[in-house]
Amino acid sequence: MTTASWDLRGGIGYWWHSYRQMVRWELVGLRLVVPISVAVQILTGAGFIFGIDLLFGGLDPRAALFLSTGVIVVTLITVGLVMGPQFVAQQKTEQTYDFLWSLPVPRTTAALAWLTINGIIAVPGMLVALAAAAWRFDLPLVISPSIAPAILVTLFSGTMVGYAIAHVVPSPVAIGLISQVMIFFILGFSPINYPIDNLPGWLAGLHEWLPFHHMAQVVRGGLTEGVVSGMARSYAVLTGWSVVAIAATAAVLGRRR
Amino acid sequence: MTASPREVTGVVGVDRVRSGTRWWIDGYASMLRWDVASLREQLPFFVIIQMMLGAGMALMYGFYFTDIPPVAATYISTGAPVLAIIPVGMTMVPSLVIQQRFEQTYDFLWSLPVPRLATMLSNLTVFTLISLPGVAITLGVAAWRYDIDLAVTWDVVPAVLLSSVMGVAVGFSFAHAIREPRLANLVVNLIIFFVTLFSPIAFPIENFPEWFASVHRVLPFYAMAQTVREGLTEGLATDVARSYLVLTAWAVAGWTIAARVVGRRS
Repeated sequence: MTTASWDLRGGIGYWWHSYRQMVRWELVGLRLVVPISVAVQILTGAGFIFGIDLLFGGLDPRAALFLSTGVIVVTLITVGLVMGPQFVAQQKTEQTYDFLWSLPVPRTTAALAWLTINGIIAVPGMLVALAAAAWRFDLPLVISPSIAPAILVTLFSGTMVGYAIAHVVPSPVAIGLISQVMIFFILGFSPINYPIDNLPGWLAGLHEWLPFHHMAQVVRGGLTEGVVSGMARSYAVLTGWSVVAIAATAAVLGRRR
Repeated sequence: MTASPREVTGVVGVDRVRSGTRWWIDGYASMLRWDVASLREQLPFFVIIQMMLGAGMALMYGFYFTDIPPVAATYISTGAPVLAIIPVGMTMVPSLVIQQRFEQTYDFLWSLPVPRLATMLSNLTVFTLISLPGVAITLGVAAWRYDIDLAVTWDVVPAVLLSSVMGVAVGFSFAHAIREPRLANLVVNLIIFFVTLFSPIAFPIENFPEWFASVHRVLPFYAMAQTVREGLTEGLATDVARSYLVLTAWAVAGWTIAARVVGRRS
């Protein structure tokens, strides 16, 4: 007869308990990083609104609308796609990676805890960016209930794609490089902060299949009226990316070594 | 009979006096070889990343706005090469020092028996050379994309060199002065952010409010853009002498701080 523990490792109760443990674990582990990351996100969000407006010496209303709604997407996905992989890369460098996955919790709870942390870091920056944009540009924003699923699916797919990259790619240096290229591509070459018509045809065609344009579409659709059409397709593409990312992550993490 | 100090020092195992121009040049040459050898795997990547970054910068501004008037296009085309120089000194140099501190090779490097200034100059040489292909490619891509005619003069040579010397010096001084790698990393990111979004490099300073413009007349970024722009265009950049002065002042200040930090005995 064992005396150490009577808990069964299964069931909803165990899962929920593990999830809360993992959120606490991540928060404690990142206790120095989280406040700085939140500050960086706020600075980036507001900085983009004021910076682009400053550089171009004022924006026309359409450009301002695209920039304002786009920056919200940028603040939502940079945490999951850029910061997240870098944290995992650091765990791999410090060789704490294997230890983390040896913790006695369901691995889905670790993934979900990570998603929660991403939300905690990203949402303040998003709100500040929205407020800064509304104040600076006097935007015709029409906030509809569809903004809630839009934010959730954007945050979820961004985090999951970043998660998949971080776990599938073994080398920390390669992960770092990919995340740098990613931020450059998101900010400069993705139709998030500007309309997709500004891109050359081949690049616009590529973005029909990448997640970034569709993230911008669903979020913009939840904040404006008459600017975005074909949201069903966007949701479908984002769901597709999430499924692929989850499958890839599960294949790597679920494996026993 | 007298022997020259270079031949005999009287100390076993040491056959040279550790001073003089010759010693200094030898030290510089050795450090140059050392730097190139230790970076041999990263160097091609650095150069390629520089080229992609610069060309990417030049292109991405065009996506944000489709119809860019010719003057704005000229500003972007002449500013993009400067945006390609700045990261080399101000971000690659600190990153490298941060990496050395993490790997704990930092102290070893400065214990090598060469003049410390020779080590610094060798670094400067390597990083200036890394930045040059990026500058050229960026300029080419921008001129092609925005279809502008540049009036390139020899003035661009001192402008680019001084900008590079200045950038490396400033990057050096804070990478060496800030001992905590994570803090240095944060400063690096803040600089990139400030340079790309809040500096009149690829945009006219007239777009900036007066107080902000005056800040930029003292900071080095606008001065870099001005001197390089003067070497590439006619009549767009005025009062360049002042910009050269500002740049020189920053370069001297950066090298002085870096030299003090590096020269300190620990």
